Amino acid sequence: MASSIYFCDTKGKTILSRRYRDDVPASAIERFPALLLEAEHESSIIPPCLTHNDVQYLFVQHNDIYVLTMSRSLSVNVAQIFSFLYKLIAVLEEYVKTVEEESIRDNFVIIYELLDEMLDYGIPQITETKMLKQYITQKSFKLIKSAKKSKNVVRPPSQLTKSVSWRPEGIVYKKNEAFLDVVESINMLISANGQVLRSEILGKVRVKSHLSGMPDLKLGLNDKGIFSSDNSADKPGESTGKRANIELEDLKFHQCVRLSKFENEKIITFIPPDGDFELMNYRLSLPIKPLIWCDAKIQVHSQSRIEIHCRAKAQIKKKSTANSVEILIPVPEDADSPKFRYSHGSLKYVPEKNAILWKIKSFTGGKEYSFAAQLGLPSMSDVDVPKVKRPIQVKFQIPYFTTSGIQVRYLKVHEPKLQYQSYPWVRYITESGDDYTIRTA
Amino acid sequence: MEKKLKKLLQNATRVAPKISKKGELFELRNGLVSPYPQTRKDAIKKTIQQMTLGKDVSSLFPDILKNIAASDVEQKKLVYLYVMNYAETHPELCILAVNTFVSDAQDSNPLVRCMAIRTMSMIRVDKILEYVEIPLRKTLQDDNPYVRKTAVICVAKLFALNKELCQELGVLEDLVSALEDSNPMVVANTIAALSDIYEADPTVVPLPLLIQKHVSQFLLALNECTEWARIIILGALAEYSARDALEAEQIIDRVTPHLQHVNAAVVLATVKVVIKNLPLIQVNSESAIFSKISSALVSLMSTPPEMQYVALRNIRIILQKYPQLLTRELRIFYVKFNDPLYLKLEKIDILVRLVDPSNLKQCTLLLAELKEYALEFEPEFVARAIIALSQLGVKYSEIKFVRKVLDILVELCKTRDSFQDDCLVAMCNLLRHAGTGEEEMITQVCSLAQVWGSVESVLQTDYAKCNYIWLIGQFPGQFDNLQRKIQTLLDSFTQEESLTQMSLLICVVKLHTMLPGSILQELLNLATTSTNEVDVRDMAIMYWRCLSLEGSNDDLINQLCNSTLPEISNTLDTFSPSLLETLLRELSLLSSIYYRPVATMTKFNAHKSNHVKGKQLDELKFMARDEIIRNMNEDNLLDFEDDSNSAINVGATNGSTLNDLNDLFDFATEPIQEQSKSEQPLEESLHDLTLNRTDQSHSNVNPNKSRELLDLF
Repeated sequence: MASSIYFCDTKGKTILSRRYRDDVPASAIERFPALLLEAEHESSIIPPCLTHNDVQYLFVQHNDIYVLTMSRSLSVNVAQIFSFLYKLIAVLEEYVKTVEEESIRDNFVIIYELLDEMLDYGIPQITETKMLKQYITQKSFKLIKSAKKSKNVVRPPSQLTKSVSWRPEGIVYKKNEAFLDVVESINMLISANGQVLRSEILGKVRVKSHLSGMPDLKLGLNDKGIFSSDNSADKPGESTGKRANIELEDLKFHQCVRLSKFENEKIITFIPPDGDFELMNYRLSLPIKPLIWCDAKIQVHSQSRIEIHCRAKAQIKKKSTANSVEILIPVPEDADSPKFRYSHGSLKYVPEKNAILWKIKSFTGGKEYSFAAQLGLPSMSDVDVPKVKRPIQVKFQIPYFTTSGIQVRYLKVHEPKLQYQSYPWVRYITESGDDYTIRTA
Repeated sequence: MEKKLKKLLQNATRVAPKISKKGELFELRNGLVSPYPQTRKDAIKKTIQQMTLGKDVSSLFPDILKNIAASDVEQKKLVYLYVMNYAETHPELCILAVNTFVSDAQDSNPLVRCMAIRTMSMIRVDKILEYVEIPLRKTLQDDNPYVRKTAVICVAKLFALNKELCQELGVLEDLVSALEDSNPMVVANTIAALSDIYEADPTVVPLPLLIQKHVSQFLLALNECTEWARIIILGALAEYSARDALEAEQIIDRVTPHLQHVNAAVVLATVKVVIKNLPLIQVNSESAIFSKISSALVSLMSTPPEMQYVALRNIRIILQKYPQLLTRELRIFYVKFNDPLYLKLEKIDILVRLVDPSNLKQCTLLLAELKEYALEFEPEFVARAIIALSQLGVKYSEIKFVRKVLDILVELCKTRDSFQDDCLVAMCNLLRHAGTGEEEMITQVCSLAQVWGSVESVLQTDYAKCNYIWLIGQFPGQFDNLQRKIQTLLDSFTQEESLTQMSLLICVVKLHTMLPGSILQELLNLATTSTNEVDVRDMAIMYWRCLSLEGSNDDLINQLCNSTLPEISNTLDTFSPSLLETLLRELSLLSSIYYRPVATMTKFNAHKSNHVKGKQLDELKFMARDEIIRNMNEDNLLDFEDDSNSAINVGATNGSTLNDLNDLFDFATEPIQEQSKSEQPLEESLHDLTLNRTDQSHSNVNPNKSRELLDLF
């Protein structure tokens, strides 16, 4: 259990703090900057937990701040603390948009209030933004329009402690709609000779719910495990659908999903929170071929120039298009005077990243583009500097397409009291994850 | 908007420097007593802003307090915020507010009731605590679960502030009965409060018994509460030992759905419960439960880095118990180039542990991956990758594979100038594993080390130097200029650290027939007279005696030097069985991240709290320090209270013993495994000699001893 929460700037100086217990002296925070510095000085390994004088400092970094908790005991649940710190940041983001030094200074009152509501004596309490917003109504600076001030006194909503703690009663929409976004991020590691070393799909289903009352939703997917609860899934020949059902791994659900129902009957049912939320995420580690294939031949003629020949191909269906494709190719730090030859997109040298950035707005499936570049190298070079090896990074977005083949079969909305008609909308997007990289030789 | 505009105007028009501090306080005070409510509210906000900036605005306390009686909940909140902040530093001022607290605790608005009781139970003044009884009792029985969930935590707060009073009031009984509450959130907070009290003093509440009584209730509540409450309840379930296989199975069935919760902490808490109950039930390694745990652990690898770090450290513990768990998921743990460094190192560690030593394909795959890492640029990462290469080689063990690893290492050693230390250590480990039969490998390594002119310029660490000397001692035939090499080492003997000194001693004694007697004489002289290391000196004396023994000394020395060492078969450190069990019980706790069971800490804590009651030692230390500084200013150094004086002493001694032990422990966990190998020759010779050594207890020389120590911890 956390004894205190501190928001600190990049140097470790306190911006705002809330102490819940007095087992850690107030002066302990003064050690934090020194501790950080010490750790940095010793080596570049700075784990997210530091100890000094029996006080445990646990922290995460976000934008230009550290969010830190302290504790005296070793029996504190670290997983819970880190998980909470990230949740705290997420909640604050919904109140003040970006959580950074300035926004914290500007919104200290609301942050104090939130800290008191979300954590009591260091024990996490309520972190559901939709519910917090019901009774923590201080105006924050980043909010354009604050919630309509009702004349009646603010009270904690009664749902807060009930089993559906994430949705208030009495929500009304004229048009009842639910939007589903199926987003798949592809992480891929490709060796210099084009071999796929690791590939995974991180998928998530985001829901934007504009539904009245207390609707009960049921989601059907073409997942083996979900769709057929009996064991016929074990025999692949029996799948009668046009598309084989796929098998999702590591499904993770939002807390509104009835987990035991899913465990026993493989049905995803839930009462959604109002507005945006992430319903579920999953992971698939099946081998996939690179969607955007890229091959760069980098020839370094040391002390004179570097030549890069790069080809990229969209290995997707002819009908599909990859949008905003960005290929970042590393070049040595001391390169200069770039010369380019290219047919498509735009190519530029980004000295601050020590790389060449190739942007292609839309990349139709099956097409192959290439470029050639030449950069000068200084004739005198420092031999001792180790050659930094950085991979090529690729970013892209492919709409109307999921790599795994996951499909939403149906989304049934059932509101027992209001019985309204509702309209589910589904969108599919595949994009690059934060680690779609190709190693350079 | 209005505020924005105001701020904008203020920013735009401000030219003169800000008014002085005194003026500011004065202005705030004026605002606080203004007849206009909005002005008062703004003034409160400004006051709190000053407070946040660290300015002392406690002098405004009475004026702020006047605003507490407002009907505006928002304003009340602000006042409470202010009061809570100064409750600790200026408790005497809070007495002024006690009547308001009591009446607010009966307010019709649950939010106000909560605030009142929450604040009251935080103020460390006995007078206020006296008033706490009635409101606390009332709120514990409140109709509103939101109030009850706050009240149960207040009991824990009260207990921390004043244990006697808390027991006298009998609220602990109320707390225990709150476990029966119909609301899961109240139950969860009650568990949290009870565990807190139990941790502070296990005699007042029978927590294990209470958990045992309520297990079925907890299992029911689990599905109906917030993620945080689930973590607490799962934590309590992990404390419970099931009666039989049937019950264990039931618990596992009930908690496994939570392996799919989106909150990583819930997942980890669930894994802990499952692992706790696994030994009770009959499972084979193919069982579905293992694949469930495995995929849950894998999913933690797509969380933020700090969370991954926690997961990896815990996986390391779980893996030792269930080594087969994640063997198929090797690729998940591959290092991503934008991982923070601490994460990369943990991942390498897990990778080598994870790999299935009977699967050649997987090992080859990992070998290629590690080689790639060794070509990166972050020094710590590369060094770790190089060591991992040798660990992988030793783990797979087959000689062809080891040769392949060695080829990579030799290549690395030639191309990467700054990593020769690590390469040498890694190569020596491989040689120790492969035994003396592998002529080709030995020549490869030795010819590499042969060309190094001066060791000083190539090798930096004590450990690497010690390995270099071992190499010379083991394979003297592979080196030209043996005498000169040893002479250079000898010249810098006094500057070296103990490990190098000892290995040089062993090496020279071993080779004494091949070297001129003067070298041996010089070394023994140096080692007995010019070193501060007791171990080195004792060892030198021992060797000296053996060498100067009459009669059978040749036999003795031969025995001493030519004993063959066992091949090393494992370079990965492991936990002792008892430590492993403790750590498994403490999964997801901070102790499991440090691999240091909670018990090691609490022992010292308990010790401390005996000495200084109520106030924390640190606080006293700081107080004492301040006092000293003040006294120094008055040129009156010796005149401070006896009380704080003794506190410093206690603090100092406690601190230093603790640090010593910590150091000892830190030392014992990490390098001991590697050390034990390098010390093996020494160990061996010691046993052969059966001489009575006086300093056996010193942990530096005796790995066994330190391991015992480790077990102790």
